[in-house]
Amino acid sequence: MTSGTGDSTREADPDVEALVVDRYLESLLARRPVGISDVPDDLVTVADRLVADLPRPHPSPTFEEHLAARLAAAAAAAPAGLPTDEPFTLPADVLIFPAARSAHDRGAVRPVVIGGVLTSAAISLAGAAIVAWRWSRYPDDRMARAVRAVARTRPV
Amino acid sequence: VARPEEAGRARPVRLDLDRSLVVAAREDPARFDALYRKYVAQVYSFATYELRDRHDAEDVTARTFLSALAGLPRFTERAHDPDEPEASSFRVWLFTIARNAIAEHKRTRRRHPEADIDAAIHLADPTDLTHIVEQREDWGSAWRAVADLPGDRRRALVLRFVHEMTTSEIAAVLDRSEPAVRVLIHRALRAVAADLERRR
Repeated sequence: MTSGTGDSTREADPDVEALVVDRYLESLLARRPVGISDVPDDLVTVADRLVADLPRPHPSPTFEEHLAARLAAAAAAAPAGLPTDEPFTLPADVLIFPAARSAHDRGAVRPVVIGGVLTSAAISLAGAAIVAWRWSRYPDDRMARAVRAVARTRPV
Repeated sequence: VARPEEAGRARPVRLDLDRSLVVAAREDPARFDALYRKYVAQVYSFATYELRDRHDAEDVTARTFLSALAGLPRFTERAHDPDEPEASSFRVWLFTIARNAIAEHKRTRRRHPEADIDAAIHLADPTDLTHIVEQREDWGSAWRAVADLPGDRRRALVLRFVHEMTTSEIAAVLDRSEPAVRVLIHRALRAVAADLERRR
């Protein structure tokens, strides 16, 4: 747990303090907390607590597969290659590199609720199972395969 | 990252995180499944925090993705912020659909209230999220403090801490300015801190 040294009783412009807190949260959620001394102690404490304690509800596999089937049926009925308002076009002279994985996908250790079953993704079998199941359903594109290949080479 | 040649110098340009998946889904709607698998848990989680009911959250999640599939040709990628290389305008668009679906669900529920048989006989649904989370004191107090926040303060805090969205992404989802979102989150944190202090 991080502890701040800021003084929550001092007079501060709320807009300035909101900006300072925003910067701190940005670094906290990137797992590189900085600027703690500028943030009031009570806000540092509550931010740490929310990062650790707020559960992440997860749909049950049954629901997820059922909805996937509904979407597949709807997709089959939809015409392919529909005209778009803004087609994606790139200049011919650009080099494209894979984008980074989202911060959400980096996977914070926090409680997970799977379709009504309470668990912790970090320690429980249910959490491990859902993570494995989720990974098995990541898109099978070139970027996803590369990310999985790199992940497999890293020590656990 | 794309590097267009500009006056002899390569300037890195970030692409939307989900561009390749969106392009594939537009060309072949069957490939929407990849976007669905990537974001279903996030949309469900957002709906659960808003509705506090597993079945309502499932209903809203289904409506969100069916609307997104139908509306994908109308999706417009926003200009990308170089300071936020991991942002996805598709995710913001999807959460905007979810927010509207949740609002519509709440309106329908107010117009057509249903008698809750479990509430009538004072039995807690064993799969009810609030009931489950509150069994754990550490998780329960944080959950309750956030759940008690008013509308956009709660949404902003959940999008920040559970979905790890940036301030600009939250501003787009909630249709507010970035300074307004910063103030929302700041006030929400103050309220949660006071609430947790009272519960000690």
